Amino acid sequence: MKIIIAGAGEVGYHLAKQLSNENHDITVIDIDNTSLDRVDSAMDVLTITGSSTSLKILKKANCEKTDLLVSVTSSESVNVNTAIIAKKLGATKTVARVENAEYVSTENQELFKSIGIDHLIYPEELAALELVKLIQRAAATDIIEFEDGKLSLIGLKLDANLPVIRQTIREIAHTIEEITFRVVAIHRGIRTIVPSGSDILLPNDQIFVITTHEGIEHIIKLVGKDQTKLNNIMFLGGGKIGRIAAKMLEGNINIKLIDSDMGKAVELADYLDKTLVIQGDGRDLDLLAQEGIIDMDGFVAVTHDAETNIITCLMAKHLGVTKTIALVDNVDYIPLTQTIGLDSLINKKLIAANNILKFIRKANIISIATLQGIDAEVMEYIAQPKSEVTKKQVKNLKFPPNAIIGGYIRNNQAYITVGDSQIEPNDKVVVFSLPGTIHKVEKFFQ
Amino acid sequence: MIKKNVILNFVGFLLILEGIFMLLGIPFSLYYGDNDVNVLFFTGISTSLIGLLLFLFTKNKDKEIRKREGYIVVSIGWIVTSLFGALPFVFHGSIPSYTDAFFETMSGFTTTGASILNNIEDLPHGLLFWRSVTQWLGGMGMIVLSLAILPILGIGGMQLFVAEVPGPTKDKLHPRVRETAMRLWGIYVMLTFTEALLLFAGGMTFFDSVCHSFTTMATGGFSTKQASIAYYQSPFIQYTIIFFMFAAGVNFTLHYHILHGRIANLKKNEEFKFYLSVIVFWTLFMTAVLFFSSYGSVESSFRDSLFQVVSMITTTGFVTADYETWGTLLLLVFFLFLFSGGCAGSTGGGIKIVRHLLLFKNSLQELRRLIHPRAVIPVRYNNHSVPQEIISNILAFFLFYIFIFILGSIIMASLGLDFMSAIGAVATSLGNVGPALGTVGPTDNFANIPDIGKWFLSFLMLLGRLELFTILVIFSPAFWKS
Repeated sequence: MKIIIAGAGEVGYHLAKQLSNENHDITVIDIDNTSLDRVDSAMDVLTITGSSTSLKILKKANCEKTDLLVSVTSSESVNVNTAIIAKKLGATKTVARVENAEYVSTENQELFKSIGIDHLIYPEELAALELVKLIQRAAATDIIEFEDGKLSLIGLKLDANLPVIRQTIREIAHTIEEITFRVVAIHRGIRTIVPSGSDILLPNDQIFVITTHEGIEHIIKLVGKDQTKLNNIMFLGGGKIGRIAAKMLEGNINIKLIDSDMGKAVELADYLDKTLVIQGDGRDLDLLAQEGIIDMDGFVAVTHDAETNIITCLMAKHLGVTKTIALVDNVDYIPLTQTIGLDSLINKKLIAANNILKFIRKANIISIATLQGIDAEVMEYIAQPKSEVTKKQVKNLKFPPNAIIGGYIRNNQAYITVGDSQIEPNDKVVVFSLPGTIHKVEKFFQ
Repeated sequence: MIKKNVILNFVGFLLILEGIFMLLGIPFSLYYGDNDVNVLFFTGISTSLIGLLLFLFTKNKDKEIRKREGYIVVSIGWIVTSLFGALPFVFHGSIPSYTDAFFETMSGFTTTGASILNNIEDLPHGLLFWRSVTQWLGGMGMIVLSLAILPILGIGGMQLFVAEVPGPTKDKLHPRVRETAMRLWGIYVMLTFTEALLLFAGGMTFFDSVCHSFTTMATGGFSTKQASIAYYQSPFIQYTIIFFMFAAGVNFTLHYHILHGRIANLKKNEEFKFYLSVIVFWTLFMTAVLFFSSYGSVESSFRDSLFQVVSMITTTGFVTADYETWGTLLLLVFFLFLFSGGCAGSTGGGIKIVRHLLLFKNSLQELRRLIHPRAVIPVRYNNHSVPQEIISNILAFFLFYIFIFILGSIIMASLGLDFMSAIGAVATSLGNVGPALGTVGPTDNFANIPDIGKWFLSFLMLLGRLELFTILVIFSPAFWKS
């Protein structure tokens, strides 16, 4: 596929890297030479310096023959204009990043289609949705839902004194009557392994489990994390993410939101009905103490500054807050944060890139997600008739060792895969895979 | 520099308008064969002529009204129209003292409804009509009417509008102030017309139904009968008047939305809900008290309570029963009603419901602010936070109001009024209500107040009608510094 990416910021960078690894032909346009140098040195793509709204530049990028144009610069109006112009120049599909909830609502989809934008993404809103999910399922470090939650992939941290520790996965499976979940990956230290039945669980492992809706309670109980509801949450940072998430949560949860900017605090106090908005520096321990951080169940740091978010979350953890979530937009920090004890993190750039990838792979993949912190992907395929995967039972498939079929949905009913499972045509299949195996996996479904 | 020409020009226009309205009573006088035709004709014509001369001689290209001119035009406009409006009563001789006539006219224009007349029915019909017209004009405001009529007024219309229709909430119905003024007067005329029709159908004479609908919609309270509405024992008439008093106490912007089918605005409006619940609560409370003190049947207890509660809260001041005989508890409540007022943007006077509501909310939030000193805790009204400037404006308003009330009471007491009468007279004048307590209660009048007292109360009425600041600002040193 020929793809043009306008904007070589974090989202564009990650997207270009991901797509070029999958052998697409990528052209990256940006006005800033330094950003392009970074792209050039890290991946095999073509870079063009110039404005993406310039017809000359777009033609130079061979826009008329391109299959997809993704505009992800930091400016909403540049993105919208780029997409419209590119469409007129002949790009087959266009995607634009916006900063406006109104634009991405389903009712306005047709309007944007008619002016030439096929898909819009609003990364801050996507990140806020993710944040809300993490708060509602406080026990999990990651949650990815498939088919409205019929199947989910959840990440869980293992504490030291659990009965399941030092048992093999096969042994654990024997203690359970009905299989409602399946461990698809273990993240240990800095390594991720796709486990077989003989692998054992160790303290401080992070496990990833594919589970049916009913299985969630089950697995959470098994790892000793009861479904504790978070009743009091402190938010740090009233940017778009904090604002949207607080608005969605404030009906059910007591929220205190701290922002250092007075003007913003006043505006937030107007927008948020039940949230208590506090103006002050979130790094000020006295302020946090005064506002009762000790009594909080959750601490969410979503300021623009990744360092502040990480530090304050560690501070909150130290003070005994059950669940901490940090917004970390700097990809380089992600492996680190896993080892120093943050519960969950969100990265709006990865989330945005995931959303675009999902749109790109629409053919027979209906959903895809890159897990944050571990280098792996979860995909949802539709098993095509006569494809490889439908021919044998799962245990006889010779599936790549770094990939695993977690579960499938047949006639709106979710099932967890076991050795004897037989995939049928048109099943929706959730596959977990480490990088480099995606191509091998895809072959099974075509 | 204050532009004198602009001010005089506008006042001239107001006088032309006033003279024309004086003439409107003549047909009734002719029909009833009264002796006030000549007086009305000559005063009307000469008022208009003086206005016309003023208007023509000050004609100027510079029509721009700035903030300061706005305040002065409105203040002077109200005073001058009251000065001229008193003339027909004096020239006819039915109110020989100019002080009394001015008090009566100011009480009319400010929609207070306090009267010095010992026997209202003695007045000829033309003058009675003029008395009702003063209230009707004052209710929605002559300045607002001029804004609707005068096409030439360029920039600055808004300054006048704000000075005459103050209040903490601003809702323009149209981008142009002239269109807004036209719409407000349109609704006002329509409601008045409907009420007159209903009252006529209920058995009032044509003359009385017009006069009463004028003074109801203005929340004025002048009746053509000495006994006020108690004269009409028909429940239909009383309920009709209750309904229109209630409607007049509602923000006219809401009426506009309802007329356009946007009923949802009513449910969302916190002030309206609060206004309604206050009325419902006190009516039920009083009905119960009256019924159990064997006042009458449930219906008559209910009707009298409802009538008196609505009449006092909307600052109309009509009377169907002497609430001074209802016991100390209810009398105290009625005294407090003098401070309530209708909704903002209604024709009612007083402190206004929205100010009470916001003050109350702010006080509650202040308690939360003590616990969370760093928190930003706004006062929310109609789902939006109210800017702190508006809150402090309301606080200042409230403080001035109470201060003026106290000072006024001291002055009235020093003129020889007893305690109840002094505080009642001041509260009722400042709140543009009408009846008060003691010697100026619902069945009495203001005839026996000393002359200085009448002038002073007239001033308080104007102060209250223009919601303090329009007048007070003129007395501030900052106003006169260039």
